[in-house]
Amino acid sequence: MKEYNLLFTGVGGTGVVTAARIVATAAIAEGLNVRVGEIHGMSQRLGAVTSTVRIGDSVHGSIIPPGKADLILTVELIEALRCADRMNTDGTFIVGMLHMAPTAVLLDRATYPSDEEVLNELKKYASVVTVDAVRLARDAGSVMSVNIVLVGSAFGLGKIPLKEKAIISALKEVLRPRYHEVNIKAFELGMKAVAGT
Amino acid sequence: MVKPMDIAEILTKDSPGKQFLLLGNEAVARGAIEAGLEFAATYPGTPSSEIGDSLFRVASKYKQPYFQYSTNEKVALEAAGAASIANTRAMAIMKHVGLNVASDAFMTLNYIGVRAGLVIVSADDPGCWSSQNEQDNRFYAMLGDTTMLEPADPQEAKDMTVAAFDLSEKLEQPVLLRITTRLSHTRAGVNLGSIRPPRGEANFEREPLRFVTVPAVARRRHPILVEKVRQAREIAEQSSWNKIIGEGSIGIITSGVSYNYVREALDFLGIKAAILKLGMTYPLPKQKIQEFISSKEKVVVVEELKPYLEDQTRAFAQEKGIIIPILGKAQGFFSEIGEYTPRRVIEGLGKALDIDIPDSFAEIDEKYSNMSVEIPSRPPILCAGCPHRATFYELAIATGRKAIYPTDIGCYTLAIQPPIELADLLLCMGSSIGTACGLTAVLDKPVVGTIGDSTFFHAGFAGLVNAVYNQHPVKIIVVDNMSTAMTGHQPHPGTGLTGMGETSTPIKIEDVARGIGVPFVEVIDPLQVKESIRILRKAMKFDGPAVVVSRSICALLEIGQKRRAGEKIIPFEVDTDICQGCEVCTDKLSCPAATWDGEHAGIDPVLCVGCGVCAQVCPYKAIKRRETK
Repeated sequence: MKEYNLLFTGVGGTGVVTAARIVATAAIAEGLNVRVGEIHGMSQRLGAVTSTVRIGDSVHGSIIPPGKADLILTVELIEALRCADRMNTDGTFIVGMLHMAPTAVLLDRATYPSDEEVLNELKKYASVVTVDAVRLARDAGSVMSVNIVLVGSAFGLGKIPLKEKAIISALKEVLRPRYHEVNIKAFELGMKAVAGT
Repeated sequence: MVKPMDIAEILTKDSPGKQFLLLGNEAVARGAIEAGLEFAATYPGTPSSEIGDSLFRVASKYKQPYFQYSTNEKVALEAAGAASIANTRAMAIMKHVGLNVASDAFMTLNYIGVRAGLVIVSADDPGCWSSQNEQDNRFYAMLGDTTMLEPADPQEAKDMTVAAFDLSEKLEQPVLLRITTRLSHTRAGVNLGSIRPPRGEANFEREPLRFVTVPAVARRRHPILVEKVRQAREIAEQSSWNKIIGEGSIGIITSGVSYNYVREALDFLGIKAAILKLGMTYPLPKQKIQEFISSKEKVVVVEELKPYLEDQTRAFAQEKGIIIPILGKAQGFFSEIGEYTPRRVIEGLGKALDIDIPDSFAEIDEKYSNMSVEIPSRPPILCAGCPHRATFYELAIATGRKAIYPTDIGCYTLAIQPPIELADLLLCMGSSIGTACGLTAVLDKPVVGTIGDSTFFHAGFAGLVNAVYNQHPVKIIVVDNMSTAMTGHQPHPGTGLTGMGETSTPIKIEDVARGIGVPFVEVIDPLQVKESIRILRKAMKFDGPAVVVSRSICALLEIGQKRRAGEKIIPFEVDTDICQGCEVCTDKLSCPAATWDGEHAGIDPVLCVGCGVCAQVCPYKAIKRRETK
């Protein structure tokens, strides 16, 4: 399979690592060569974090070079922008519209840009799809499933080259049984949200 | 229904050939189990933590192998070293700076050697993702004449761990497995091997003329060690871990994760080269390297951090009179600073080999740096409801910010961030107390050191004894969140839980302080703001060394416990009719759950853990717990 690079970006502690693991587990089940990059330790404390999923025979390391991401998924709006240099011009941003103001903003030492500013800037890099991920996750049963909503939307848009069955069973393999229902629903709601777009 | 497999099950499953998605660190743990691991000890430290944590799960569930979170890395290595001398396969796991702590044991363990296999894991952190420096521990292998293996990906991490045990038993020497952050925290499919039975009965055979390193013994052991290095080099010459991939007149020498970037860079640049991928990197296969470079027009050495392979390669070339360009850091094509990426290797190879790099990177940089929007930075900070935040808020008031604040290694180091900014000096684990001693000895100023609970046990104790005995009037705040929080909530001697998942009697820090004669010892609950400020003020006024243990469980642990118990977390809220917009909660406390709409404060109900500190801080009593229906 041709090299495929997926980047999750977000704020430490919001489920970025788990979502990446689910996609990678599905890729393994399909017999593909995969690398996942994670961040552990200090940055997990509400810092900006990324998780990568790289699939394909030519993939050796877990770092996505600049301009090589096919898909960037982010729940927190400005975190998409922080990683925009990774984006391929043919790629897609799928952006949840959560705003988490960093401390610098709270202390008036920085400004949180407007949605319009951020989205316009993102569009200079690649196409942008916005999803109300927090609301959909809540509808599914837990805000913690926001990243799974985005995975659902990405899959719905044909941006994840894996089978639905593989993703669902990976989700069951990675998560504890009591979280299965909520997350499967989150995946489906994410998919539904982009149907027909 | 598919049942999720827990890591303890995966790591102990005897199903050779089966593939699982494993983290590099989990792969190391699996490798050790395949090799018949019987004893493991660690002190947690990113990026090594998940190796110990995986073994903790296994040991808690199956009661074997024996596993412990030792008080520090020196103790862990001494314990593991002794276990292996007593015929037990053992592993000591630490981050790179942990090996500094263990280095005293490390340097002499090589002299006496081992009986059953002993693998020492050093997880280095190029890029300082979670560390105070990015030292290159490959030089420890050279310094200590210790055989070293360096894997590049999770599969190799697993396989090389098995090989490290074999090598250790063959040479009767400890073997260093050197990994780095990017490998530790990369997941990939790992094919499992079969699990070997343990070695059998432990027994200690006395051999004082080998194991008791009085000078006469040490002198006799040194030539033996040098001979072991010679034997190890012979093994390295034949080792399949040192292999050539590809062909061409250009040679590239590399090891570890840099190998991955070399492969990707060659694809990107569309060039052919022969790669000498070194997996056994101490002692280096001298002849193999000499043969490799003598058949090349030029050779590029690609490695993170110091020119370790590069300088040795140059020396090997000189020894044989091989005159070809050996390119790398010496000519400035590569940097010894920071973590490598595919891009850095593409650019370095491009420069070294004089190949045009497609201009896409420059375009991307230009676009990224000319962005019309400024992205606010998002450094890691203390969590919502973190008791450390409360302690620091109180400390700022009690000291009027007029003291000097040495800090230590843990979550509370994040006190460097605004608006707390109560971190002035940091070297290493335990340094808050040692540096406080020095500062109080030469300055006539209050000095307040902050140190965590686990860090106190690790390396704070000796400093505190020093402060008491030498009468340094240091004020030490032990921010005790009842966990080794930053590295993933591992137990420590204050928690009452062992690495086997069994209970033990917790050692109380206040008892330790009183026991060594600290004349002022108090315990506070930082979530009680007024009372905590009162005690901290009292400590500041005290003439002599003072210890205040600020104890409150880590907020992340607490929410986890509540969630598991099905308890509801009731957040606080701001009554905007009462809120005067004074911004004390947002600007002085700055809990990440606090929000600001330009006029009034607010609280994010998702992030709020309900600790109630902001309600005590609000001068207008505008913050209350939400009504529950």
